[in-house]
Amino acid sequence: MSSDQNGLTPRLRLVSAGNQTRAEVRPGQRALDWAILMAHAQEGDRVAYQRLLQEITPYLRSLASRRCNDRSDIEDAVQDVLLTIHSIRHTYDPTRPFAPWLVTIANRRLIDRIRRQVRQRGREVALAPEHEIAAEPETGAEAAPGRRELERAIGSLPPAQQQAVRLLKLKELSLKEASVATGMSTTSLKVNMHRALKSLQKLLIPRNEP
Amino acid sequence: MINTDDLIDSLATDMRPVKRLRPPLLRACCWLLGAGAVVALLAVNQGIRPDLAQRLHDTPFVASLVGSILTGILAVIAAFLVSLPDRSRLWILLPMPALVLWLSNIGYQCLTDWVSIGPDGMSPGEAARCFTTLAATSLPLSLALLVMLRYAARLRPIIVALTGSLAVSAITSTALALFHTIDASAMILMWNVGTAVLLVGTAGLFGRRMFRWVAPRVFAQD
Repeated sequence: MSSDQNGLTPRLRLVSAGNQTRAEVRPGQRALDWAILMAHAQEGDRVAYQRLLQEITPYLRSLASRRCNDRSDIEDAVQDVLLTIHSIRHTYDPTRPFAPWLVTIANRRLIDRIRRQVRQRGREVALAPEHEIAAEPETGAEAAPGRRELERAIGSLPPAQQQAVRLLKLKELSLKEASVATGMSTTSLKVNMHRALKSLQKLLIPRNEP
Repeated sequence: MINTDDLIDSLATDMRPVKRLRPPLLRACCWLLGAGAVVALLAVNQGIRPDLAQRLHDTPFVASLVGSILTGILAVIAAFLVSLPDRSRLWILLPMPALVLWLSNIGYQCLTDWVSIGPDGMSPGEAARCFTTLAATSLPLSLALLVMLRYAARLRPIIVALTGSLAVSAITSTALALFHTIDASAMILMWNVGTAVLLVGTAGLFGRRMFRWVAPRVFAQD
C-alpha cells in the first residue's frame, strides 16, 4: 500500500529564497537535504537541527497561511508544528522520504488547531456595546480599590516573584527580554511566575468568592 | 508569544540525540509476543477449556478462532503503521478481511446453533471468571500498546486507539474462547462482540485523552 502523502511531495515549493543559490535548488533536492539534516539531528547534531528548523519554517508558514488568516495565528501554528516535530523527531525513518512525514505532521496540527478554534468560537459570545462597562469613568473609579488590593498583594510576594510578575505580566515583556533585564534564567522566571500566580490566587480569590 | 527564531534557537540548544523507533513490524511482533505470554500465563493459571480438542473439529469455531487471532495480528500491525506520520491512513483497512471472517462466523454460529440461555446458561460464577479473563488480558495489553504508541497523541490519536483496541479485543476474545466453555450463542456473541464494542468504544471516546495521559509533557499543552 503506498503512502497517501506521496502525492504531496511534488507540491514542496521553495519559499525561503533567502539567497539566490538556495532558491535555485530543486524541491526534490531540498527534501533530500532536509532528510539528511534530520538524520544528523537525530544523532545529536545541533547545527544540523537548527538549520533544518530554519529551512522548513518558511515552508510551514506557507502551509499555515493557506488555513489561517491572522498573521499572529500563522506564527502560533508554525510554532505548534515545530514543537510537535521536536517532540516526535524520533519517529522519522531516514530511509523514507522526509516530505510526507513533514506534511502529515503539519496538516494534522493545523487541522487540529482549526477544530479547536471552531469549538472555542462556539462557546464564545460576541461583545455588545452594553457589555463594555469597564470603559465608563465611574466604573474605572470603582476598579481602583481592586487595583490597590492587587498592588498590595504583589508587594507582599518575595522579591524574585514580584519582579517576575511586574516584568512578565504588568510590563508584558517576553521571557527572553525579562531574562536579559533581570539576569535570571527563563526557567527560574517561569517558576517564580508560577509560584507568584499561586500565591496571588490564594490572597485574592477567597475574598471574592460568595 | 515567543519569537519563532528564538523558539528554534531554544529547541536546537535543548536538543538531545534520540533513539529512532524500530520498524513498525518489529514493534508489532514484540507486542504480539507479549500478548502470547499473557495468554500463556492465563492458560497456566486458569486452564484450557476441557472440550477444546473436541471443539477444534467444529469448523465455525475454528474459523472464528482463526479470524480473531488474525484480526489481532493484523490490527496491531495496522495500529503501529498508522501511528507513523509518513504511512497511509488506509492501513486501517488491513484487519478488515479477518474481522469479517471472525464476526461472520460468530453470526453464523448464532444463526445455525442458537441455544437459548436457560436458568443455568448464565451462571454468575462463569460470568465472573470470563470477566477476570477479560480484565487480565485486556488491561496489560492496552497499557503496553498505549505506552508503545504514545507519540501518536498529536497525530492520529483516534484511529490509532481504534485499531489498537480492536487488536486487544481480538486477542481477549481468543483467550475467552480458549479458556471458557461459552456454548450458548448469546454468550459467545456477548463476550466476543461485547468485548470488541466495549474496548473499541472506550478507545473512540477516550483515546485522545488516554494518549495525552501517557504522552510526554510537551503534548499536554493543548
